[in-house]
Amino acid sequence: MKALFLKTKLVLILILGLTVAAQAQRKKQQPRPEELDTQAWRYEIEPVNVGVQGTYLIKVWTFSTNPGAAIEQCKKNAVHGIIFKGYAAKPGVPGQKALSTDPDTENANFEFFHTFFMDGGKYMKFVTVTNDGAIAAEDIIKMGKLYKIGLIVSVDVAALRKDLEDAGIIKSLSSGF
Amino acid sequence: MKEIIKKLTLTITIVLGITAIAFSQAKKPTIMVVPSDLWCIQNNYIFVYDNQGTTVKIPNYKKAVQESPDLMMVISKINEMMAERGFPLKNLESALKTLESESAENAMLTSKSGASVSESPVDKLKKTAKADIWMQVTWIVNQVGPKRSVTFNLQGLDAYTDKQIAGASGTGNQSFTVELPILLQEAVLAHLDNFNSQLQMHFNDMFDNGREIVIRVKKFDSWDGDLEKMYAGKELGAHIENWLKANTVKGRFSTSDATENMMLFEQVRIPLYDANGNATDARGFCRDLQSFLQASPFNITNKLMMKGLGEATIVLGEK
Repeated sequence: MKALFLKTKLVLILILGLTVAAQAQRKKQQPRPEELDTQAWRYEIEPVNVGVQGTYLIKVWTFSTNPGAAIEQCKKNAVHGIIFKGYAAKPGVPGQKALSTDPDTENANFEFFHTFFMDGGKYMKFVTVTNDGAIAAEDIIKMGKLYKIGLIVSVDVAALRKDLEDAGIIKSLSSGF
Repeated sequence: MKEIIKKLTLTITIVLGITAIAFSQAKKPTIMVVPSDLWCIQNNYIFVYDNQGTTVKIPNYKKAVQESPDLMMVISKINEMMAERGFPLKNLESALKTLESESAENAMLTSKSGASVSESPVDKLKKTAKADIWMQVTWIVNQVGPKRSVTFNLQGLDAYTDKQIAGASGTGNQSFTVELPILLQEAVLAHLDNFNSQLQMHFNDMFDNGREIVIRVKKFDSWDGDLEKMYAGKELGAHIENWLKANTVKGRFSTSDATENMMLFEQVRIPLYDANGNATDARGFCRDLQSFLQASPFNITNKLMMKGLGEATIVLGEK
């Protein structure tokens, strides 16, 4: 009787343990609100000036309840925007088209971009924050419960383009010749 | 044993053949940066001559590359950035020098028996710098008081179809202090990516829908026939159009002009590879048309001339 009771207790503990682990995994897999915004294209990019050769100097606006988290998300949004969105011109600075012209690129290469845009992922190689990440006062706009944060970053487009070409995500000018 | 070796050899040959076809590359167009006629005229790099009462101005590219450091800087920067993209361009200055040295060598070249190199009048006319796509660059310096800005225009022109296949233009920021070479450099950096984006779209269209070429059909006056001569119940011109319908990509071509002496076909879409899987161009495509016209029931001797990847002329009657 005691043995049966012990065995039942052990089984119950195991089941409970697995459930907690599964719940923890599910919580881990829940994307942050800022990530959902990126996936829903809810960020803005505008040119600042003509960057040095091979780079774009842009300002990225990200929406977040946490200004601290927004800085990291701005970097991600910058690279995401250069690849998929492009940006419009402003007087004196022309706009640029997205690196990927195929609207299905993101879905067709889901695994690649999932790893690419993970926290601490490869996207960090191509983006540099200017001003040591300092945000000007006029670039923090409170909109109800959300903050709209503007950060100026430099994106190494030449290296990013080369990386995507080597991965077969986009075509190079000389592909096929 | 012999049978096994035979079968093995055949299998290896088939596999190698398939591999060759799978990895066959299309013929790559050449691109060259040149200043526009407008820029040359504004900066006085031109030949001027009188053509029966009309003043004709022709760009003097040699003088422009020898005397304008700004032009050299712009060409150099564009060449540098295109090379980084894996698409090196032909350099205008080098092409002009090669033409001159080749001309000099041809003039001096003699065989051991004393024969010199043959050169027809057409050969002389064709001695120009060549490219399949011209990147025509223009800039204007705008002065508003002490401030200067640069309006920059870059056009990609197909040398055969005369179509603008890519372009980028705009005016940069005004500046008090920045020197003109820096303004020009910034203009190239700002506009070249947009230009290349459109160029990539042109290449994608080419791979999807075939290369666009121009075909001209003419006749020598020594030939007693013409393009309205009847063969098997149809005019020769109609036979040529039917051949094009059957051999172009999706039957795509436009007959722009047709008389008894000439026909002009534009927007002709040809496959990038021939029946053997080898890369082909306008000349390779028109060789089949040439053979079609030489065969029965036409039996017309004809001469095939070409201009780069995208233009071919067939002249009927003689070689």
